[in-house]
Amino acid sequence: MKPLFSIAWLTCTVLLSGCADPSRSRALGDPKVTGQALAEQVCSNCHGQRGLSSSENFPHLAAQQADYIDAQLRSLRDKHRRDPAGSVYMWGIARDLTDAQIAQLAAYYAAQPAAAAAPAALAEPRAGRQLFTEGSAEHGVPACAGCHGDRGQGNGGIPRLAHQQRAYLLRQLAVLRSSPDDRPMGALMNAVAHKLSDDDMRALADYLPTM
Amino acid sequence: MLELPARTRTPLESAYRRPIALLVAVAATAYALPASAIPVFNRQTGQNCQACHAGGQYPELTPYGRMFKLTGYTIGRRTDVPLAMMALASVSSVRNTSKSDDPSADFSKNDRVVLASASLFAGGRITDNLGAFVQYTYDPYASQDASGKYHGHAAADNMDIRYADRLVGSGHDLVFGVSANNNPSVADPWNTAAAWMQYVPVPSPSSSQFIDGATPYPGYGVGGNTSGLTAYAFLDEHLYLEAGAYRSSRGVLAFMKLGQPTSGLTRLQGNAPYVRAAWNVAWGASTLMIGGSTMRSRVYDDPSVADPGTLHRFRDSSIDAQYQWLLDPHALTLQAVATRQQHRYPDFLIGQVPAYVDPQGGALPPSSPSDVLRLLRAKASYTWRATYGGGMSYFDLSGTTNSLNQSSGYDPLTGTITTATSAAAPSTRVNGNLTGNPRTTGETLEAYWLPWQNLRVGAQYTFYQRYNGSARNYDGFGRNASDNDSLFVYAWFAY
Repeated sequence: MKPLFSIAWLTCTVLLSGCADPSRSRALGDPKVTGQALAEQVCSNCHGQRGLSSSENFPHLAAQQADYIDAQLRSLRDKHRRDPAGSVYMWGIARDLTDAQIAQLAAYYAAQPAAAAAPAALAEPRAGRQLFTEGSAEHGVPACAGCHGDRGQGNGGIPRLAHQQRAYLLRQLAVLRSSPDDRPMGALMNAVAHKLSDDDMRALADYLPTM
Repeated sequence: MLELPARTRTPLESAYRRPIALLVAVAATAYALPASAIPVFNRQTGQNCQACHAGGQYPELTPYGRMFKLTGYTIGRRTDVPLAMMALASVSSVRNTSKSDDPSADFSKNDRVVLASASLFAGGRITDNLGAFVQYTYDPYASQDASGKYHGHAAADNMDIRYADRLVGSGHDLVFGVSANNNPSVADPWNTAAAWMQYVPVPSPSSSQFIDGATPYPGYGVGGNTSGLTAYAFLDEHLYLEAGAYRSSRGVLAFMKLGQPTSGLTRLQGNAPYVRAAWNVAWGASTLMIGGSTMRSRVYDDPSVADPGTLHRFRDSSIDAQYQWLLDPHALTLQAVATRQQHRYPDFLIGQVPAYVDPQGGALPPSSPSDVLRLLRAKASYTWRATYGGGMSYFDLSGTTNSLNQSSGYDPLTGTITTATSAAAPSTRVNGNLTGNPRTTGETLEAYWLPWQNLRVGAQYTFYQRYNGSARNYDGFGRNASDNDSLFVYAWFAY
């Protein structure tokens, strides 16, 4: 009995290690591991299975525009995207991704069903809706829908915003307003974001998850 | 060793000036290190500490950190040199060192900066499914000879070597594996587990005997440096189950007690079963876990003698809960644990008449056949920008009164409480227990600073309302619980 206990774990690990399956690998830096495997085994720890994040600290990736994901992952891999969340969590994860893996990840998440709309807060997010659909002539803010789509679905390299995590939206708007160089194409959005007040940002962040 | 030469000083000077000098020196060293100077798991994943540790404070795990652990430390790329180290420099200052026969022994190294402990880690990804966390720790104050000189010693610390896999199917996500480890609950991913709730290593000089790390923490009767094999599963990031058994380390698993002297080991009879269950939910920026564990064990009284007549029988059970709110730049963690340990003594320790007598010279009650210990421990901590943080904790150890646990009392020859070695029943000052009751309660406040993810500088102050069963005169020599209040200043460094 005693020898059985002593060797049980060694036997299990030797036998089971031989069953390693690349479709369930968590290896970063192995080009044989597919984007879907990485999404399920690694990315899901923050972004949720099928790109539906359970933490508002991390964005949903489901139904995100493939071109946008592709561009962000390349930028994170090359350390061009430098916002704190990007460097703390993503530089390491992205550092060894191949172009093919990035393309597979982008295609995988783009094909997933989008997150459901979040329930609206107590107050009707009217201000956010108006900013999104009409912009603000008074402050020279164009309608978000003009680039991000009337349903916030995004377009190519322009990200989907609909049903995104509220806290993530707020944080990224702040980055785009104050540190546009930290994100690719940040200067483009900075032209809009620097005209947004804190209240405007909160209004948009309240509306977009519920639209 | 970082110990500084003695000089004439006030306690206040000792408590603050030297730590500050040391901490400034350590901080300067850390700033001089390159940004890549990070421990082995960080080198493996390329991520910052705060990806896995809440607010960057070791060892509190984030949801991602828990998954990294449960998937066998296999995320990332295998490192060329899978090694890391950590070291702790600290100073302890006990509020009252006057009520002692021998302050140099009872409060050795008080008010002096010491290199308290150092650990070497090996681990990380081995294969797609196999990974390890192996810690080997050096204690510069492991033993003391007759002249009072300390001798260092290195020995096996926490070890967790595991196989893990993850099945993602239609609507379900199952992480499962087996762990070979040497400490019950060391494989657990939550920091309310007994092996992980304590977050700053405990330096061993006697001046540190009252700091937070030495206050009652959850634990199991079997202790560490045993050999355990547990299987676990985590379904849909909700239900966690772990079950297995522990026994004495020997054979191919003897490395799990490497360096431990026999006197410091737990020797078990047969297998000690361990079961753990937890339910985890996540919403918004929050995660909540509620769980429990149970364990039974039979421990020989003397680890060098496997005599079935000397077995202590333990039944441990606990319930624990942890809430985390992690939304950059905030990291809040609330923890609570309640444990119950039933300890049945071997026959030769039951019904013994204590050597001490009551104040009138009458016999004390004979020793009880068993004891029950209950511990409630709660902690709240908050870190901002993974840089500044603080916490508070509460501990309350209670249990049955048993004359077997008295280490102070009236000597039958003199009718006094005395430490004289010539007495028939000498008592213990400072650590003595006059009542035979374990009640120890108090709180700890802490503030810390992480100027760099490799370095944490902190100060703790621990207050006691009761110690060894009493608020006042717990040792029979007039020492009060509050005399043990302690300041602990530390610099924790990892590379």
